Amino acid sequence: MKRLLAFPSLIYLLVFFYIPFLIVLLYSLDFPNLTLKYYFEILDSLYLKVFINSLVLAVVTTVLCLVLAYPVAYYIALKAGKWKNFLLILVILPFWISFLLRTYAIMTLLNPLGLMFTFTAVVLGMVYDYLPFMILPLYASLERLSKSQIEVSYVLGAKPSETFLRVTLPLSKPGIVAGIILVFTPALGEFVVPVMLGGTYATIGTVTWDLFLRYHNWWKGSALSMLYIAIVLIAIILYIRRSGRIEL
Amino acid sequence: MIKAFVLLIFLFLYAPIVYVVASSFLDNGELTTKWFSKLFEDRVVINSFYNSLSLALLATLFSVIFGTLAAYAFLRTNMRLESLFYTPIVIPEITEALSLLLFYKIVSFPLGFYSVLIGHIAFNIAFVFVIVKARLSTHLKLVEEASLTLGANEIQTFFRVTVPMAMPGIVAGSLIAFTLSWDNFVKTVFTTGPGFQTLPLLIWSQAARGVVSPSLNALTTLMLLTSFILAYLYVRISIRRE
Repeated sequence: MKRLLAFPSLIYLLVFFYIPFLIVLLYSLDFPNLTLKYYFEILDSLYLKVFINSLVLAVVTTVLCLVLAYPVAYYIALKAGKWKNFLLILVILPFWISFLLRTYAIMTLLNPLGLMFTFTAVVLGMVYDYLPFMILPLYASLERLSKSQIEVSYVLGAKPSETFLRVTLPLSKPGIVAGIILVFTPALGEFVVPVMLGGTYATIGTVTWDLFLRYHNWWKGSALSMLYIAIVLIAIILYIRRSGRIEL
Repeated sequence: MIKAFVLLIFLFLYAPIVYVVASSFLDNGELTTKWFSKLFEDRVVINSFYNSLSLALLATLFSVIFGTLAAYAFLRTNMRLESLFYTPIVIPEITEALSLLLFYKIVSFPLGFYSVLIGHIAFNIAFVFVIVKARLSTHLKLVEEASLTLGANEIQTFFRVTVPMAMPGIVAGSLIAFTLSWDNFVKTVFTTGPGFQTLPLLIWSQAARGVVSPSLNALTTLMLLTSFILAYLYVRISIRRE
């Protein structure tokens, strides 16, 4: 009887989430003709460049985020002492502010520096927006790692660098993988940052935007977003296979 | 050394925000509130503010009702269907936005306030569900049964046991749902029609051309303030519960 209470939500999601999703799939296949021609069209050289652009941007963003976030997460989890909670709040607070506002904020700083509409600006904006998404999962996995595990390593005679490379780093691997997925997959389709800070830097996100809102090419746009979703889903499934669940 | 590095990163994270807030109160180096008063005189801004607020309030109301009921229904049963609630969180927002747009085109639903609202509710339901479910006490069913055994009827039990026990989760879910709608941009821009503009769309329409202006700074400051207040309330509620 009480199970019925779930039905309004399920029906709502079915109508306004799952059916629209199905429509995108059908459009991408040019229903009712059922061809793959739009997929082949977006695999030509012009769009290939867009995929490479997005990939480069997402990889650079993810690597920079990982390198910058690790020391921060390490410090908060293991060294911050009484500042721990305060620093954690500072990491979580940006989650409450949309990318649009935060990108605008960094734009006001890039403008007087004369950096606007460059690749550097886009990367800075991406790292700025996505950094908290990397710090948080890293923190969660480092926090679980108890100090005694590190101390044991020292007692047994390991040097700090050995301890880090052979104890801390391997044990924080789940956090690293979660962070990479949380940053890489949305970064791949990002379009607010490239448009606001990069001008003409074309990514999957900006091209999807153009195809739908400017050229009204639903078919090609649908095929492009189906490919993007496929990449995202593969990443998530790989992660769930490895760790058994999604954790933050 | 690591301390200095961490400090630098936090400086990087907060310098732009501080800069926006500071410059919204400055005019040639002097303190002023004129950018804000200008904002409140602008009809377009007032209109967008009203749109954003009613959109966020309605989206919160409906998604909290739907999401909470579902969380309650799934409390002890681990039905397969539950995973249907997680997909909207994992799927990239831009994909969800454009699929809604195609859906509206096919059923020729007019684009405007309602098309945006429907999209926001769909997205928020998933978040409310996850948050409320995580916070609903596993003892809830036991206490309910105790209440029924002790002679309270179903309705009394619902209002005097179920609702109070679910309250922290409901409040937390509402705060997140409101924030998600309040400054949502991607889904709004895809599903809106001519004549319906929210504050994020207003900021976008100017900032996307690389324009930075004092009144835009003031508007961003107001939006940031709202988010900070909501985040603060959320933290307060979470801490009290623990």
